[in-house]
Amino acid sequence: MPKVLIIDDSAVMRKIIQRNIQQSGLLVDEFVEAGDGREGLEKATANKMPNMTGIDFVKALRGSGQKSNIPIVMVTTEGGEAKIEEAKNSGANGYLTKPFTPDQLKSKLGNFLLVK
Amino acid sequence: MAIEGIMENVASDITSATKTLFETMIMLDLKYDNSFFEDDTQIKTDVIGMVSFTGKYHGVIALFCSKKFALKVASTMLMTELNEFTNDVKDAVGEVSNMIAGNVKTKLTAQYGEMNLSIPIVIAGEGLSITAVNNHPVVAETTLSCFSKDPWLMTPFISSGEKFDVGLLLKESSK
Repeated sequence: MPKVLIIDDSAVMRKIIQRNIQQSGLLVDEFVEAGDGREGLEKATANKMPNMTGIDFVKALRGSGQKSNIPIVMVTTEGGEAKIEEAKNSGANGYLTKPFTPDQLKSKLGNFLLVK
Repeated sequence: MAIEGIMENVASDITSATKTLFETMIMLDLKYDNSFFEDDTQIKTDVIGMVSFTGKYHGVIALFCSKKFALKVASTMLMTELNEFTNDVKDAVGEVSNMIAGNVKTKLTAQYGEMNLSIPIVIAGEGLSITAVNNHPVVAETTLSCFSKDPWLMTPFISSGEKFDVGLLLKESSK
């Protein structure tokens, strides 16, 4: 049952990402939203966590020992090579810079989700 | 390079970032004109989305637009018709400002080293005025004034028949 957890401090961006995935033809059974890394990690692992950045979230999930193999695609305005490298080194499976097209999002998520 | 030249380069990055944003996530037509230093000390607007940045250079990138255009952009981004100025509309304006500033930051970082962005701030109302003055008082015409002693470098855009501007304030940070 593919489930997608969308973490972004912008409710609008969470809606945009969800709408894009719904229209992309990728198979998703459930969307879960979180406003920050702490809430996201709590929803992913059911543990209480401190506030954290996106990178902190990736490191914490990878080190949690719980569902630590969940694929993570980071979607951010930070597009520099150093940031992308940092995200990958932290354990992110993919990286997408905002703004993005629906096809770019589908291409990144298509590595981990089946098409309907 | 003089600060004015650097500002013009950054304005060119703003144009490019705004164009990319409209081609990808907003998907509305977009026309733009050359950037210019705003002589008028009061910029009348309904909505302002601002992101400030720090680093070797510090300043503000701000989107100035009408309420009608903010509703249009938010409606397009959310793929639903919005007629009220809800939190979703403010959030959308903040995201637009954030994406423009984020793209500009990536280019500035490559050239001038690490920079930090603030979270976006959205100020909305009708008939607001932004005031940029050179050390002399200005009587605010409406309820809100934002004071700065330096002029904005404005890049004018038109989309869906609505004019909007992206402004830049930039200064070199003290060492």
